[in-house]
Amino acid sequence: MPTSAAPVPAVAAQSPTTRKAIANNFRELTKDPKKLDEAANQLYESLLEDAVTGIFIEVHHLRKIGNLSALDGVAEESAHRICDVPNLDIFGVSTAKKAIDCTCPNCDRLVAAARFAPHLEKCMGMGRISSRIASRRLATKEGTSASSNSSYVHSGANAGGTDDEDDVDWSSDKRKKKSTQNSRNNGSKKNNGKTF
Amino acid sequence: MTIFNAVDKFTMMSGDRVKIKDLLSSRLTECGWRDEVRLLCRSILQEKGAISSFTVEQLVTEVTPRARSLVPDAVKKELLIKIRTIFDENEADDIDPEEA
Repeated sequence: MPTSAAPVPAVAAQSPTTRKAIANNFRELTKDPKKLDEAANQLYESLLEDAVTGIFIEVHHLRKIGNLSALDGVAEESAHRICDVPNLDIFGVSTAKKAIDCTCPNCDRLVAAARFAPHLEKCMGMGRISSRIASRRLATKEGTSASSNSSYVHSGANAGGTDDEDDVDWSSDKRKKKSTQNSRNNGSKKNNGKTF
Repeated sequence: MTIFNAVDKFTMMSGDRVKIKDLLSSRLTECGWRDEVRLLCRSILQEKGAISSFTVEQLVTEVTPRARSLVPDAVKKELLIKIRTIFDENEADDIDPEEA
Protein backbone atom coordinates (compact mmCIF):
# COMPACT_ATOMS: atom_id res chain seq x y z
CA MET A 1 0.00 0.00 0.00
CA PRO A 2 2.75 2.57 0.73
CA THR A 3 3.65 2.60 -2.98
CA SER A 4 0.09 3.28 -4.08
CA ALA A 5 -0.86 5.60 -1.21
CA ALA A 6 1.40 8.43 -2.34
CA PRO A 7 0.01 8.99 -5.85
CA VAL A 8 -3.62 9.33 -4.69
CA PRO A 9 -3.55 13.03 -3.82
CA ALA A 10 -1.39 13.65 -6.86
CA VAL A 11 -4.01 12.06 -9.12
CA ALA A 12 -6.80 13.99 -7.47
CA ALA A 13 -4.94 17.23 -7.92
CA GLN A 14 -4.10 16.56 -11.53
CA SER A 15 -5.53 18.82 -14.16
CA PRO A 16 -8.48 17.65 -16.31
CA THR A 17 -6.15 16.97 -19.22
CA THR A 18 -4.17 14.34 -17.34
CA ARG A 19 -7.43 12.86 -16.10
CA LYS A 20 -8.50 12.60 -19.67
CA ALA A 21 -5.17 11.02 -20.59
CA ILE A 22 -5.58 8.39 -17.91
CA ALA A 23 -9.12 7.69 -19.01
CA ASN A 24 -7.96 7.41 -22.62
CA ASN A 25 -5.22 5.04 -21.65
CA PHE A 26 -7.71 2.92 -19.82
CA ARG A 27 -10.20 2.96 -22.67
CA GLU A 28 -7.59 1.83 -25.16
CA LEU A 29 -6.82 -0.98 -22.81
CA THR A 30 -10.44 -2.07 -22.53
CA LYS A 31 -10.66 -2.50 -26.27
CA ASP A 32 -8.46 -5.57 -26.05
CA PRO A 33 -10.14 -8.30 -23.96
CA LYS A 34 -6.83 -10.11 -23.54
CA LYS A 35 -5.22 -7.04 -22.04
CA LEU A 36 -8.27 -6.48 -19.87
CA ASP A 37 -7.94 -9.95 -18.42
CA GLU A 38 -4.31 -9.32 -17.72
CA ALA A 39 -5.13 -6.00 -16.11
CA ALA A 40 -7.75 -7.60 -13.90
CA ASN A 41 -5.28 -10.24 -12.78
CA GLN A 42 -2.65 -7.65 -12.11
CA LEU A 43 -5.02 -5.54 -10.10
CA TYR A 44 -6.00 -8.56 -8.05
CA GLU A 45 -2.37 -9.49 -7.49
CA SER A 46 -1.47 -6.00 -6.37
CA LEU A 47 -4.39 -5.89 -3.96
CA LEU A 48 -3.40 -9.24 -2.54
CA GLU A 49 0.13 -7.98 -2.17
CA ASP A 50 -1.22 -5.05 -0.20
CA ALA A 51 -3.12 -7.38 2.11
CA VAL A 52 -0.05 -9.54 2.72
CA THR A 53 2.09 -6.48 3.32
CA GLY A 54 -0.45 -5.28 5.86
CA ILE A 55 -0.09 -8.50 7.79
CA PHE A 56 3.70 -8.29 7.61
CA ILE A 57 3.67 -4.82 9.03
CA GLU A 58 1.31 -5.93 11.76
CA VAL A 59 3.45 -8.93 12.71
CA HIS A 60 6.64 -6.95 12.49
CA HIS A 61 5.21 -4.27 14.72
CA LEU A 62 4.05 -6.83 17.27
CA ARG A 63 7.46 -8.47 17.23
CA LYS A 64 9.42 -5.27 17.65
CA ILE A 65 7.18 -4.17 20.50
CA GLY A 66 7.46 -7.59 22.12
CA ASN A 67 3.78 -8.41 22.01
CA LEU A 68 4.35 -11.43 19.79
CA SER A 69 6.05 -13.33 22.57
CA ALA A 70 3.36 -12.11 24.92
CA LEU A 71 0.70 -13.57 22.60
CA ASP A 72 2.50 -16.90 22.62
CA GLY A 73 2.30 -16.86 26.38
CA VAL A 74 4.37 -18.68 28.94
CA ALA A 75 4.42 -22.47 28.83
CA GLU A 76 2.21 -23.98 31.47
CA GLU A 77 4.05 -25.47 34.41
CA SER A 78 3.57 -29.18 34.93
CA ALA A 79 2.48 -28.53 38.52
CA HIS A 80 -0.55 -26.66 37.25
CA ARG A 81 -1.54 -29.21 34.64
CA ILE A 82 -4.95 -30.75 34.87
CA CYS A 83 -4.68 -34.19 36.42
CA ASP A 84 -6.45 -36.88 34.40
CA VAL A 85 -6.15 -39.93 36.66
CA PRO A 86 -9.26 -41.85 37.77
CA ASN A 87 -10.37 -41.35 41.35
CA LEU A 88 -8.47 -38.07 41.52
CA ASP A 89 -9.87 -34.61 40.87
CA ILE A 90 -8.22 -32.10 38.50
CA PHE A 91 -5.80 -30.98 41.19
CA GLY A 92 -4.64 -34.56 41.82
CA VAL A 93 -6.40 -34.80 45.16
CA SER A 94 -8.34 -37.94 45.97
CA THR A 95 -12.07 -37.64 45.36
CA ALA A 96 -12.88 -40.10 48.14
CA LYS A 97 -14.76 -38.26 50.85
CA LYS A 98 -13.15 -38.24 54.21
CA ALA A 99 -15.29 -37.53 57.19
CA ILE A 100 -14.27 -34.49 59.17
CA ASP A 101 -15.02 -34.75 62.84
CA CYS A 102 -15.18 -31.99 65.37
CA THR A 103 -14.95 -32.34 69.08
CA CYS A 104 -17.83 -30.71 70.84
CA PRO A 105 -16.44 -28.16 73.31
CA ASN A 106 -19.38 -28.83 75.60
CA CYS A 107 -19.43 -32.61 75.95
CA ASP A 108 -16.05 -33.53 74.32
CA ARG A 109 -17.68 -35.99 71.96
CA LEU A 110 -16.62 -36.46 68.31
CA VAL A 111 -19.34 -35.15 66.04
CA ALA A 112 -19.40 -35.21 62.21
CA ALA A 113 -18.87 -31.72 60.85
CA ALA A 114 -22.19 -31.75 59.09
CA ARG A 115 -23.98 -32.65 62.30
CA PHE A 116 -21.97 -30.30 64.48
CA ALA A 117 -24.25 -27.30 64.38
CA PRO A 118 -27.44 -29.22 65.32
CA HIS A 119 -25.51 -31.10 67.97
CA LEU A 120 -24.15 -27.92 69.49
CA GLU A 121 -27.60 -26.43 69.54
CA LYS A 122 -28.92 -29.39 71.49
CA CYS A 123 -25.86 -29.80 73.64
CA MET A 124 -25.63 -26.20 74.74
CA GLY A 125 -29.33 -25.86 75.17
CA MET A 126 -30.31 -23.31 72.60
CA GLY A 127 -33.81 -23.30 71.26
CA ARG A 128 -36.93 -24.39 73.03
CA ILE A 129 -36.92 -28.18 72.93
CA SER A 130 -33.16 -28.50 73.07
CA SER A 131 -32.93 -26.40 76.18
CA ARG A 132 -35.15 -28.85 77.95
CA ILE A 133 -33.12 -31.82 76.84
CA ALA A 134 -29.87 -30.10 77.76
CA SER A 135 -31.09 -29.00 81.10
CA ARG A 136 -32.34 -32.46 81.84
CA ARG A 137 -29.01 -33.92 80.89
CA LEU A 138 -27.23 -31.38 83.04
CA ALA A 139 -29.47 -32.16 85.92
CA THR A 140 -28.74 -35.87 85.68
CA LYS A 141 -25.03 -35.20 85.28
CA GLU A 142 -24.88 -32.98 88.33
CA GLY A 143 -26.71 -35.54 90.33
CA THR A 144 -29.78 -35.19 92.44
CA SER A 145 -27.79 -34.06 95.48
CA ALA A 146 -26.92 -30.64 94.04
CA SER A 147 -29.42 -27.91 94.60
CA SER A 148 -31.11 -26.26 91.63
CA ASN A 149 -29.31 -22.98 92.24
CA SER A 150 -25.77 -24.35 92.23
CA SER A 151 -26.42 -26.50 89.19
CA TYR A 152 -27.64 -23.44 87.32
CA VAL A 153 -24.45 -21.56 88.07
CA HIS A 154 -22.40 -24.46 86.88
CA SER A 155 -24.39 -24.91 83.70
CA GLY A 156 -24.13 -21.21 82.95
CA ALA A 157 -20.36 -21.31 83.15
CA ASN A 158 -20.16 -24.49 81.15
CA ALA A 159 -22.44 -23.48 78.31
CA GLY A 160 -20.92 -20.02 78.16
CA GLY A 161 -23.87 -17.68 78.31
CA THR A 162 -27.26 -19.24 78.89
CA ASP A 163 -29.39 -16.23 79.64
CA ASP A 164 -31.92 -15.53 82.36
CA GLU A 165 -34.76 -16.63 80.22
CA ASP A 166 -33.14 -20.00 79.92
CA ASP A 167 -32.85 -20.11 83.65
CA VAL A 168 -36.52 -19.45 84.09
CA ASP A 169 -37.24 -22.04 81.47
CA TRP A 170 -35.01 -24.48 83.24
CA SER A 171 -36.52 -24.17 86.67
CA SER A 172 -40.11 -23.76 85.62
CA ASP A 173 -39.68 -26.53 83.13
CA LYS A 174 -38.73 -28.93 85.87
CA ARG A 175 -41.68 -27.95 87.94
CA LYS A 176 -44.02 -28.08 85.01
CA LYS A 177 -42.71 -31.44 83.98
CA LYS A 178 -43.28 -32.77 87.42
CA SER A 179 -46.73 -31.32 87.58
CA THR A 180 -47.70 -32.52 84.15
CA GLN A 181 -46.35 -35.93 84.84
CA ASN A 182 -48.28 -36.00 88.04
CA SER A 183 -51.43 -34.79 86.44
CA ARG A 184 -51.04 -37.22 83.61
CA ASN A 185 -50.42 -40.03 85.98
CA ASN A 186 -53.31 -38.93 88.06
CA GLY A 187 -55.53 -38.58 85.05
CA SER A 188 -54.56 -41.89 83.67
CA LYS A 189 -55.04 -43.45 87.01
CA LYS A 190 -58.43 -41.88 87.27
CA ASN A 191 -59.32 -42.88 83.77
CA ASN A 192 -58.06 -46.30 84.38
CA GLY A 193 -60.09 -46.48 87.47
CA LYS A 194 -63.15 -45.30 85.59
CA THR A 195 -62.84 -47.51 82.61
CA PHE A 196 -61.89 -50.60 84.42
CA MET B 1 2.73 3.66 -19.74
CA THR B 2 2.33 0.03 -18.77
CA ILE B 3 -0.99 -1.72 -18.58
CA PHE B 4 -0.80 -2.00 -14.86
CA ASN B 5 0.07 1.62 -14.38
CA ALA B 6 -2.88 2.72 -16.47
CA VAL B 7 -5.32 0.49 -14.63
CA ASP B 8 -3.90 1.38 -11.26
CA LYS B 9 -4.18 5.09 -11.88
CA PHE B 10 -7.60 4.85 -13.38
CA THR B 11 -9.09 2.76 -10.59
CA MET B 12 -7.51 5.02 -8.03
CA MET B 13 -8.97 8.05 -9.76
CA SER B 14 -12.48 6.61 -9.88
CA GLY B 15 -12.27 5.36 -6.29
CA ASP B 16 -12.95 1.77 -7.30
CA ARG B 17 -9.61 0.59 -6.03
CA VAL B 18 -10.55 1.34 -2.45
CA LYS B 19 -13.87 -0.44 -2.90
CA ILE B 20 -12.26 -3.60 -4.27
CA LYS B 21 -9.59 -3.47 -1.63
CA ASP B 22 -12.18 -3.26 1.13
CA LEU B 23 -14.09 -6.15 -0.36
CA LEU B 24 -10.97 -8.26 -0.62
CA SER B 25 -9.81 -7.58 2.91
CA SER B 26 -13.24 -8.32 4.37
CA ARG B 27 -13.47 -11.59 2.39
CA LEU B 28 -9.99 -12.62 3.50
CA THR B 29 -10.86 -11.93 7.11
CA GLU B 30 -14.10 -13.89 6.80
CA CYS B 31 -12.46 -17.00 5.42
CA GLY B 32 -9.69 -16.94 8.03
CA TRP B 33 -6.91 -16.30 5.54
CA ARG B 34 -5.62 -13.43 7.61
CA ASP B 35 -5.24 -15.63 10.69
CA GLU B 36 -3.60 -18.37 8.64
CA VAL B 37 -0.97 -16.01 7.27
CA ARG B 38 -0.44 -14.54 10.71
CA LEU B 39 0.16 -18.04 12.10
CA LEU B 40 2.48 -18.78 9.21
CA CYS B 41 4.52 -15.67 10.00
CA ARG B 42 4.71 -16.59 13.65
CA SER B 43 5.77 -20.18 13.04
CA ILE B 44 8.50 -19.02 10.66
CA LEU B 45 9.61 -16.43 13.18
CA GLN B 46 9.78 -19.07 15.88
CA GLU B 47 11.97 -21.21 13.65
CA LYS B 48 14.27 -18.48 12.45
CA GLY B 49 13.82 -15.92 15.19
CA ALA B 50 17.07 -17.02 16.82
CA ILE B 51 19.05 -15.94 13.74
CA SER B 52 19.75 -12.27 14.20
CA SER B 53 20.38 -11.71 10.49
CA PHE B 54 16.81 -12.78 9.60
CA THR B 55 15.20 -9.68 8.15
CA VAL B 56 11.68 -8.61 7.34
CA GLU B 57 12.52 -8.85 3.62
CA GLN B 58 13.48 -12.49 4.05
CA LEU B 59 10.23 -13.16 5.85
CA VAL B 60 8.29 -11.45 3.06
CA THR B 61 9.95 -13.50 0.34
CA GLU B 62 9.31 -16.68 2.27
CA VAL B 63 5.69 -16.07 3.21
CA THR B 64 4.29 -14.22 0.18
CA PRO B 65 4.12 -17.18 -2.25
CA ARG B 66 2.56 -19.38 0.41
CA ALA B 67 0.09 -16.66 1.35
CA ARG B 68 -0.92 -16.38 -2.30
CA SER B 69 -1.63 -20.07 -2.55
CA LEU B 70 -3.62 -19.97 0.69
CA VAL B 71 -6.26 -17.67 -0.78
CA PRO B 72 -9.45 -19.68 -1.42
CA ASP B 73 -10.41 -20.09 -5.07
CA ALA B 74 -13.91 -18.77 -4.38
CA VAL B 75 -12.53 -15.48 -3.07
CA LYS B 76 -10.15 -15.12 -5.99
CA LYS B 77 -12.90 -15.82 -8.51
CA GLU B 78 -15.29 -13.40 -6.86
CA LEU B 79 -12.67 -10.68 -6.84
CA LEU B 80 -11.78 -11.17 -10.51
CA ILE B 81 -15.45 -11.08 -11.53
CA LYS B 82 -15.95 -7.94 -9.47
CA ILE B 83 -12.96 -6.27 -11.10
CA ARG B 84 -14.26 -7.20 -14.53
CA THR B 85 -17.72 -5.78 -13.83
CA ILE B 86 -16.16 -2.56 -12.57
CA PHE B 87 -14.05 -2.33 -15.72
CA ASP B 88 -17.13 -2.87 -17.84
CA GLU B 89 -19.07 -0.22 -15.96
CA ASN B 90 -16.23 2.25 -16.39
CA GLU B 91 -16.16 1.52 -20.09
CA ALA B 92 -19.78 2.57 -20.30
CA ASP B 93 -19.28 5.60 -18.04
CA ASP B 94 -16.21 6.76 -19.88
CA ILE B 95 -18.14 8.78 -22.39
CA ASP B 96 -19.67 11.05 -19.75
CA PRO B 97 -16.55 12.88 -18.48
CA GLU B 98 -15.37 13.40 -22.01
CA GLU B 99 -18.56 15.12 -22.97
CA ALA B 100 -18.63 17.27 -19.84
